[in-house]
Amino acid sequence: MANPPEFQISSGGAVALQPVIVARKSPSRLFWERFRQDKAALAGAVVIGILILIAIFGGPLAEKITGHQQNSTYSQMTDAYGVPFGPNGQFWFGADAAGRDLFVRTMYGARTSLFVGIVASGIAVLIGLIVGLTAGFFGGIADTLLSRAADVLLAVPQILIAVGVVAACSTNKNGCLGGLLQPGLTVVIAVITIFSWSYIARIVRGYTLSLREKEFVESARAAGAGNVRILATEILPNLIGPLIVYSTLLIPTNILFEAALSYLGLGIPADQASWGSILSDAQQLYDVAWWLMLFPGAFLIVTTLAFNLLGDGLRDAFDVRSER
Amino acid sequence: MSKTVRYTALFVAIAAFAVLAAGCGSKKKSSSGSTTTTSSSGGSTGAVGSGSYDNGSPAKGGVYRIGWEASFGFTNNFDPTGEYLGNAWGLYSNLMLRSLVGYKHQPGAAGNELIGDLSTDVPTPTDGGLTYTYTLRSGIKFAPPVNRVVTSKDVAYAMNRLANPKDGGQYSFYYTVIKGWDAVANGKATSVSGITTPDDKTIVFHLTKAAGDFNLRMSMPATAPIPPEIGKCFEGKPGDYGRDVISNGPYMLKGSDAVTASCSALKPMSGYDGANGNHITLVRNPNYDQSTDSYRKNYPDSFRFVVNSNADDIFAKVQAGQLEDEVSSPAPKTVRAYATDPALKPRMIPNVGDRTNYFTMNLTQAPFDDVHVRRAMNWIVDKAALQKAWGGPIPGSIATHIVPPVLYNNGLAEYDPYSTPNNAGDQAKAAAEMKQSKYDPGKTGKCTASACKGVLVIADTRGVDTRMIPILEEDATKIGLTLKVRSINGAYTTIQTPAKNIPFSERPSWGKDYADPYTFFAELFDSGAIIKSGNTNYSLVGLTPAIASKVGATGNLTNVPTIDPDINACSAKLSGDRTACWENLDKKLMTTVVPWVPYLWPNNVFIVGPKVTHWNYDQFTDGPAFSSVSVKG
Repeated sequence: MANPPEFQISSGGAVALQPVIVARKSPSRLFWERFRQDKAALAGAVVIGILILIAIFGGPLAEKITGHQQNSTYSQMTDAYGVPFGPNGQFWFGADAAGRDLFVRTMYGARTSLFVGIVASGIAVLIGLIVGLTAGFFGGIADTLLSRAADVLLAVPQILIAVGVVAACSTNKNGCLGGLLQPGLTVVIAVITIFSWSYIARIVRGYTLSLREKEFVESARAAGAGNVRILATEILPNLIGPLIVYSTLLIPTNILFEAALSYLGLGIPADQASWGSILSDAQQLYDVAWWLMLFPGAFLIVTTLAFNLLGDGLRDAFDVRSER
Repeated sequence: MSKTVRYTALFVAIAAFAVLAAGCGSKKKSSSGSTTTTSSSGGSTGAVGSGSYDNGSPAKGGVYRIGWEASFGFTNNFDPTGEYLGNAWGLYSNLMLRSLVGYKHQPGAAGNELIGDLSTDVPTPTDGGLTYTYTLRSGIKFAPPVNRVVTSKDVAYAMNRLANPKDGGQYSFYYTVIKGWDAVANGKATSVSGITTPDDKTIVFHLTKAAGDFNLRMSMPATAPIPPEIGKCFEGKPGDYGRDVISNGPYMLKGSDAVTASCSALKPMSGYDGANGNHITLVRNPNYDQSTDSYRKNYPDSFRFVVNSNADDIFAKVQAGQLEDEVSSPAPKTVRAYATDPALKPRMIPNVGDRTNYFTMNLTQAPFDDVHVRRAMNWIVDKAALQKAWGGPIPGSIATHIVPPVLYNNGLAEYDPYSTPNNAGDQAKAAAEMKQSKYDPGKTGKCTASACKGVLVIADTRGVDTRMIPILEEDATKIGLTLKVRSINGAYTTIQTPAKNIPFSERPSWGKDYADPYTFFAELFDSGAIIKSGNTNYSLVGLTPAIASKVGATGNLTNVPTIDPDINACSAKLSGDRTACWENLDKKLMTTVVPWVPYLWPNNVFIVGPKVTHWNYDQFTDGPAFSSVSVKG
């Protein structure tokens, strides 16, 4: 259906305008048109896609190409003093301090970093969504309790607590909390999640407080919709955009959190490559083995930057008020 | 953020990182130095040298500055009654405290020989080894603010303080052979009845059973005299005396002469700034009489120990002459830098460390409850690779049994019950051993039982641990063990708790307390050493169901081997075949009990600054002989 003419000026003194026809665009189309103009965000998305492929296939492929297993040590790649050798034809990124192939380990490190970043962020977003929705929509005592709980978590020294939790859960075979938290990746993901959900909860709560006063929510309530229906059909769809944006910004934060934990020697088992643990190993050798910092460090920077660029682009595309 | 800005940020970040990394990779220029070295130690082959360094003539004067890595790490805040840190003993023994017997502060076997220090000589026991009588030397006085002659009662006071658990003694177990010791330890007496002081120059120890190394036990710093007029200010306050230690040696804490010997007015001395402090400054003790001391040279006017969290910075300052010495461990890159630079090489001095690094296997936990698995581990481990992980031959030699040969007067130097080609492990012999194990029912040469899958290994997070773990995992896989490695910053707390039932750890290292193998066997393998926390018998050798119940250990408690009777028998020997007795026990442990995989006898590698004119190693303290060092003023 064509749009009606917006105005006409009668003849005899004025111009007669033709009806202006504007094609109706769905929100998703509007979003895409805005997003695709943002070349930096698109580049970020492409890089993330490549990194995901590396995370899935990179490690095994690197092992196949080089013939080097990720945990195998190669004595020819360390000198008589145990200092590793740099990149060469067989070891493209050089060797780490134990004489392992750094290229293979960097590829496997992508898997660890992205897995931890994405899974921990996903769980954190889910918890934050539930808490934020509940606090913002119902208010009262629920809001007070949940918001204060989030505030407490924000005030906690994260690294110190993380050190304690990881240490407590890593000293026996069965982990802690009756085996619920297994040493290694599970503990790291749990720790990161614990400290991440509160940010999302605060954001969701703020949006929900605003949305619940909107006319369309009042209309739904007047039409007899219950709380659950209003939350599911009126509030939640309006939160999708912000959630996607903040998720993409949370992922790099959590990747860095994992790197920080691994840098401190916590959590990720020694036989599992992660960029943070490789950088940690580089501490003692960085001035004689530059490759130990360069390659995992560059991957870490590119990954976090790509997610940040994508997040920025998504925010701009979702938010019509933002300046471009 | 605009697109341009974002692209620029991306480019700048990557470029900056690349430039930074490339910059870090540039080779550090080594100082050409102006050394006129007359003797050098060590070399690229890793041979331990003479343990001394000379660069001119030693002379009185100057400040000897030492960088101390991370923190002092004192176990009792520098209070000698409970201080168990070897580096603290280096200060006490060389500079501050003269115990009844002491050492020559020299490298090698000579450095482990006892001499009379506060005592005129090393006494020969009487009464079948049950009585030791020491006669005090004349002319030895306490530093300010005490300023009086040391008497036998001051030694007795220190011993009573050591016996009282409320005063924090951490190795009082060495003295339980003294009659009446336990009564004080249990709070039933206030003084040890087996210690008598007939006059101010004589002190007599009466033992309940012979202990052939009793004189050696009396060389430890906790036995050094403490003046009661100061000691009483710190009764029941373990650690507090550390900031007011009264010296009777050549140096004292700076500020000793600025405090008063009255409990109500006594302030901490300025030379040590406390438990979390970062400096210790020692100055000359005005009451010290050089004529009473044949072995301490005391060249510098003062010593300044400064904590530095950055080991690289410490070594850079030593190289640049801003520090003379270090209490740290040079990383492989530092060892390489010195070993390959002729100008620097003489200033790196590797010394035998009287220490063993080893993997410990818990005799109660599967699959290590089977001696064949333990033996297979000894056959399969690539010790040469582990040595390289530590930095090659200079930081240590490959260990082949429990106690370093230097403690056997170089006995067992050639003993290697698990000798493999190039020390790289022997898969055939490991497989042959594994075939005899109950965990290899199919006789495949590999452990096929579920107990061998996901074996928990506690590791630390030091740089060297991350280099060793891949080697260990590869080796274990060759005999069918897959490991579940947990890396913990400060792993000792975990492995020292028997209730945690840790099957395997790569962290342990043990050094002597004094030059007798007893200090290895008693603390590492005696069932009496198994305690609930702080346990050092990690393998739980000699564990009985009763002890297991007491400490909370669970696992396979049937037929856990014990060597308690062997330890008691060797310990009672006074001389003669005492060393042979310990050697035989070492062999028994390696072949019959097999609680460890010993892999390295670490050297203590020291690097000294260009202003140092003399340095030598102290074999007793396994550190610099501060009493002999000198620096250009």
